[in-house]
Amino acid sequence: MRLTGKVVLVTGAARGLGRAIAVRCAQEGADLVLSDVCADVGGVPYPLGSRSQLDHTAKLCRHEGSAVLVEETDVRSGESVRRMVASAIDRFGQIDVVVNNAGIAAPSGRPVHGITEDEWSLMIDVDLTGAWRVMREVAEGMCERRRGSIINVASTAGLVGYRHFAGYVAAKHGIVGLTKAAALDYAPMKVRVNAVCPGSVRDVPEFEGAMLAEIARALEVPVHEHEKTFVEAQPMNALIEPDDVAAAVVYLASDDAKQVTGSMLTVDGGFSAR
Amino acid sequence: MPHLHDGLLLRSPADVDPAGLWVEDVPAASTSAAAERRRATELSRPALDSRRVLLRYDDGETDLVVVTRREISVSTAAGPVWGLGDGSGPTSRLDAIDETGDETGWLVALLVTLQRYDPESAPVVGTPRGAFSADLTGPVRAVRLVPTDQPAAVGLLFCENRVEGEYLPCLAPPFPLTVSVYHDDRGPRLRLDHSAALVAPEIAEQFARHLRLVHRQVLRRRDAEVADVLLMDDNEVLRVAELGRPAPPPIPTASTIHAAFQRVALSTPDSIAVTDGTDQLSYRALDERSDVVARSLRAHGVRDGDRVGVCLDRSTSFVVTALAILKAGATYVPMDPAHPADRRNYTAEDAGLTLVVTPEIVLPQEESVLGDADGDTAAYIIYTSGSTGRPKGVVVPHRNVIALLDATRDEYELRPGDVWTWFHSSAFDFSVWEIWGCLLTGGRLVVVPHAVSREPDAFRDLLKSERVTVLSQTPSAFAQLLSVDHADLAVRLVVFGGEPLDARILLRWFDRHPETRCRVVNMFGITETTVHVTAQTVTRADALAGSRSVGPALPGWHLYVLDASGRLVPPGVAGEICVGGAGVAAGYFRREELTAQRFLPDPFRPGVLYRSGDLGRLRPDGRLDHLGRIDNQVKIRGFRIELDEIRSVLLEDPRVSAATVVVRRDDPGDAASARIDGYVVLIEPADTREIRERAARILPDHMVPSTITALSELPLTVNGKIDQERLPHPAPAPSVVDSTPTGDELADQLRTIWSTVLGVPVEIDDDFFELGGNSLYAVRIGAAMRAEGLPTVRLRELYRHPTVRGVASAVRGS
Ligand SMILES: NC(=O)c1ccc[n+]([C@@H]2O[C@H](COP(=O)([O-])OP(=O)(O)OC[C@H]3O[C@@H](n4cnc5c(N)ncnc54)[C@H](O)[C@@H]3O)[C@@H](O)[C@H]2O)c1
Repeated sequence: MRLTGKVVLVTGAARGLGRAIAVRCAQEGADLVLSDVCADVGGVPYPLGSRSQLDHTAKLCRHEGSAVLVEETDVRSGESVRRMVASAIDRFGQIDVVVNNAGIAAPSGRPVHGITEDEWSLMIDVDLTGAWRVMREVAEGMCERRRGSIINVASTAGLVGYRHFAGYVAAKHGIVGLTKAAALDYAPMKVRVNAVCPGSVRDVPEFEGAMLAEIARALEVPVHEHEKTFVEAQPMNALIEPDDVAAAVVYLASDDAKQVTGSMLTVDGGFSAR
Repeated sequence: MPHLHDGLLLRSPADVDPAGLWVEDVPAASTSAAAERRRATELSRPALDSRRVLLRYDDGETDLVVVTRREISVSTAAGPVWGLGDGSGPTSRLDAIDETGDETGWLVALLVTLQRYDPESAPVVGTPRGAFSADLTGPVRAVRLVPTDQPAAVGLLFCENRVEGEYLPCLAPPFPLTVSVYHDDRGPRLRLDHSAALVAPEIAEQFARHLRLVHRQVLRRRDAEVADVLLMDDNEVLRVAELGRPAPPPIPTASTIHAAFQRVALSTPDSIAVTDGTDQLSYRALDERSDVVARSLRAHGVRDGDRVGVCLDRSTSFVVTALAILKAGATYVPMDPAHPADRRNYTAEDAGLTLVVTPEIVLPQEESVLGDADGDTAAYIIYTSGSTGRPKGVVVPHRNVIALLDATRDEYELRPGDVWTWFHSSAFDFSVWEIWGCLLTGGRLVVVPHAVSREPDAFRDLLKSERVTVLSQTPSAFAQLLSVDHADLAVRLVVFGGEPLDARILLRWFDRHPETRCRVVNMFGITETTVHVTAQTVTRADALAGSRSVGPALPGWHLYVLDASGRLVPPGVAGEICVGGAGVAAGYFRREELTAQRFLPDPFRPGVLYRSGDLGRLRPDGRLDHLGRIDNQVKIRGFRIELDEIRSVLLEDPRVSAATVVVRRDDPGDAASARIDGYVVLIEPADTREIRERAARILPDHMVPSTITALSELPLTVNGKIDQERLPHPAPAPSVVDSTPTGDELADQLRTIWSTVLGVPVEIDDDFFELGGNSLYAVRIGAAMRAEGLPTVRLRELYRHPTVRGVASAVRGS
């Protein structure tokens, strides 16, 4: 139990990686603040996490013995994020770990000049600015307490480019930059900031993840073909399991990583080592 | 040096060479957490080959860990169906036994126990020497083991020798359920290893107990018939009998439906009771109007206990009439005007109706006294398909309906302010729940006209505009609703009934209507037990797991699962679902013999038990899993049909000498693709379409076979039963072969959509229904048309012009 007594806040926790991370943290003894937008967002061509999915994640965590606070939060809204953090402090008195996981993979699938102004803004707003909004709200409290770990879920798209995914790649590179800069800002206060960069993660039915299928759809290739391409591209010849990413998050959240800050932990089966 | 179990765990003597034994010292006491972890690590390390490790602890204790390759087993079948496992990881339990006996005794005991657990399949027990089966008719002493190649789900590892320390047969038990019999330093042991993913711990526990009891009988009652060997002792039988009755019956709040109604009407006289389009009635008006009609019925000669038919569409008049019949002391017999005249005539005749109320009938407006009824008086008779070839009337007394409401009112917070739909045919007893569930709890009943019930968009609009809160649906109807946008609804309770629910379809519903705002309840029920028997609140977790549970019995109802000889079976084991308690009907109208067959005295409590003919099993927590029909009564899109009834109608045709019917799913995972195929042997050459047309005049729509194929003879199995496997797939309805494009772009586009959805080639004048179309397919075609940017066509339009040509011209017209 590496997170006993810690309060972990996870955004985008309704399903997918968010659910896997939440459950894993619960198994490690953490109490949790779980949030998700719980609505579809105009411009995103696929359904986002629902309230029922978020409640199900909460139930799985309570099953592990955690105290859980559930919040409907849109990371595009500063006000919404402020409310979430305020309720979390109200409930638990502190936040020890933040996992900025909420994210979208599309609208994508077109070259740079084919992206509209609105699409570009939406992508940056959710995938980059969303993480900054949450950091802004929690950083002060963490600094005061001289402890805290912020984990941004970036992607291998934060390290290399992908064709026809300029918005996503730019946002994820942005997250990597934000992580490094924030790590320097807060190192004196013993608040750590790191990123995990997952490779291509399998959509596991029990976690109801949808990203791989949606990326495939944006690229207009059948899902199994897309999976195959990535299995071949990742030197370990397998897709990443949500649990693999969750384990990396647990490490960065735990005191085992007390000297680790400003780092990019890749969980990509060797993809970015080439 | 511990004794090794030669030839038991390990396949060849080479494997038991003591040189292969690793002895490891563990610097901790055997009871410490460190020792536990050490054992666990030892077991969790994959066994590439057989491996034995002796752990020696600080306190002098030892553990022998034997890790075996999985392949050591003879061919292993998938986990047992009665295992109910849903956990994971290996689990084991250990019991002390009186004596080890010999291997044969345990093999026989295992075979007998397995046969009781799964009478449908021949039991097989695996051992390291191969698998064994046996003929289990006759007395115990005559059972002879026969070697077999069949895969085994259960295996026996027998060892007479003493084994020291903890005996761990293997990392992954070689069989899904592995029974080991051996001796350790504390005496003879029976050990069960199983993966919790395949066998639940409770099931393993009872299996061990049953096996021990059977083993004792195998040794001591050698002259007993195998069929008489007992699985459970008396105490356990009583405990299992209680398991199906999780809650005591509530105290009845009224004796008759109309008395309960009047109480509601007095407390909320001005609330609206029924809405039918623009027509609506308050509780007071409904009470007064039904009083007037009741008096005229009496004046018309209706007497206490008479049966009165109601042949009206869903409407305010239907409700007024039904209530009036009850107030007149009589029994209402619903007759759906949409059913063929022949079927309605049959009902009228069989029920011995005094009178049939139709829209045309004019009743004398006279004063007369109301009738007399009590809880035992029959409130309604509903006709259900009968295995005798003709429908039979199920007689349901007032108090059953009162009990149904008493069992559900508080749990589901049914109360004034709720808005219910009346969606289902009055001749289907789900409507009893819709009508009286609403009117006896002060809600407002919204009539769903037939046309609206067939069109998901229109139905959705009605749910929205009427702010419906309580929605009762068959899963098939609900699937149609899910196919249209359903976000903005006020529904707070969905009740499923009428057919098995595939919980997975609910994920989409939950995404729009979280469980905290809308409760979803799956109810299993039968007309003979007053609509419902069990209730299961379905959650996202159930939907993700595709759960089959229909929940525990309603308070007042109780369940037993019995084997073919009427003995109670243990939890996990499949048998016939039998229902007792407050919902059991009074029997079949004027069918004493059939009533006596299906309604039996309850062996454990006062009262009567209904044998449902449905297959099910109780879970260790008292919830029921519903596993389908035992006989060939089946459901198609929520309608209960008896294949024998269809067959007998086909056989009545003078041109037919033999007939059979089967239900097929073109896509096994898709309930919408279910259809009935008929096969006939003709006496003289005839057009099968005419035979189908004749059947359609007699049978209700949902029972008319989609295809009729003429054969020179029906293929039979060796047992003389019709061999369904060998019935040919029906040829698609003949069509004008002209696959060339018609030159009409719209029609070609529609043809492509139709043939994609229906999975058959489509010509411009092919009949949608003859191609295997049904309402679910119609909805899918609508969705595909929308996706291609075509204007949608109302379902009614498709029903009116069921060809590509017809739809194309409707599209152009719109
Ligand atoms: N799945 C992969 O292959 C993969 C690979 C690398 C990185 N990632 C990253 O992992 C994170 C999680 O992705 P996933 O695979 O679980 O996808 P997912 O779509 O299953 O989950 C993302 C969750 O974020 C939520 N979300 C989206 N916009 C939001 C907003 N504005 N406010 C609040 N919540 C919002 C969604 O509702 C959803 O529940 C994302 O940041 C993604 O970029 C995923």
